Amino acid sequence: MKPIHRHVVAIARVALGALFIYLGAVKAYDPVGFLKLVRQFDVLHAPSSLNFVAAVLPWFEIFCGVFLVVGIKARAAALLQLLLLIGFTVLVALRAAAIYRAGGTPFCSIRFDCGCGTGEVLICFKFVENTALMLLSAMVVVAGGGGATAGKQP
Amino acid sequence: MSTRSAAMKLARESIVIAVAGVVCGLLANWVSPRGLALGRDYFGPLSPPAAGSRGSKSPAAPAAAPSAVQDASPAGKRSKRGFTLASHDQVAALFRDPGRAEQRIVFIDARDDAHYAAGHIPGACQLDHYRLDRYIADVLGASQLAERIVVYCNGGNCEDSELASQDLVALGVPESKLLIYAGGITEWKQHGMPVETGARGIGKSPTP
Repeated sequence: MKPIHRHVVAIARVALGALFIYLGAVKAYDPVGFLKLVRQFDVLHAPSSLNFVAAVLPWFEIFCGVFLVVGIKARAAALLQLLLLIGFTVLVALRAAAIYRAGGTPFCSIRFDCGCGTGEVLICFKFVENTALMLLSAMVVVAGGGGATAGKQP
Repeated sequence: MSTRSAAMKLARESIVIAVAGVVCGLLANWVSPRGLALGRDYFGPLSPPAAGSRGSKSPAAPAAAPSAVQDASPAGKRSKRGFTLASHDQVAALFRDPGRAEQRIVFIDARDDAHYAAGHIPGACQLDHYRLDRYIADVLGASQLAERIVVYCNGGNCEDSELASQDLVALGVPESKLLIYAGGITEWKQHGMPVETGARGIGKSPTP
């Protein structure tokens, strides 16, 4: 991998990690608020599963974010974040679709707090944002963590 | 290393990190003062309170002169969980009623510390359903003595006032005393009503 590419990947890795740490911390600070947001997706109904996701997910994000920032097992951490992002994006899309069907609001005018840690957002903006994050995560998975070991086969 | 073995290695590492992340999350939740009780049903069933706890729809006649306490028992709409909903006018009348200064009418704010401190109905007690053990001892006494209890949160889709009311009913407060202020603090402020800021004021005399 060319040095410039290594640096780009390293910057993406650290930026992703820092972002996930921040977003995880926002949710971990208010687990009750996050619990209410998880519930509104109407996917999990058993109290124990709702509570488990609301309690653990924010810290899980922080945990993976640390691995990304530090650059240890970054590909694995990025893969986990990528899988989470795919799942979250699908859930947000389903909820937005339900709101659209219920009220007829123009799809890209729909806004709600998706529980991502950024408060209420316009849904189309959230899709663009998540797509960018998924691409960056995929880049880290494929290219490695950047830095001296970038591109080397494990 | 072949692509297949590299992928297997990546998958193994991901599983290890995932398991470690979950364990870390459980530990952090356990240690954190804001942690959730994993086994608790925070939202309860969408069913009205048990029939035995309802009592009569009309409040018991107070010994004092007739006041808004007797008059503000609307036989109107019910919330999702079966509690009586009160309009802003009804709540404002209760707020102005002399019974409030005598603690015969009690207001309960069902929001968390930050929202409560940012502004609440003057004299309102706080009862955070999600941190019940911190507040219930103080609120329960006032609730059992009161003739009318107005419970509110933000209004709109906020369920916390109903959840707090369910907690009170479960602890023996007659459902017939309880009114849910549907519009919540949002509507209260929109009407230019007085708001008190600051820390918890359980049992404090309400500001006039």
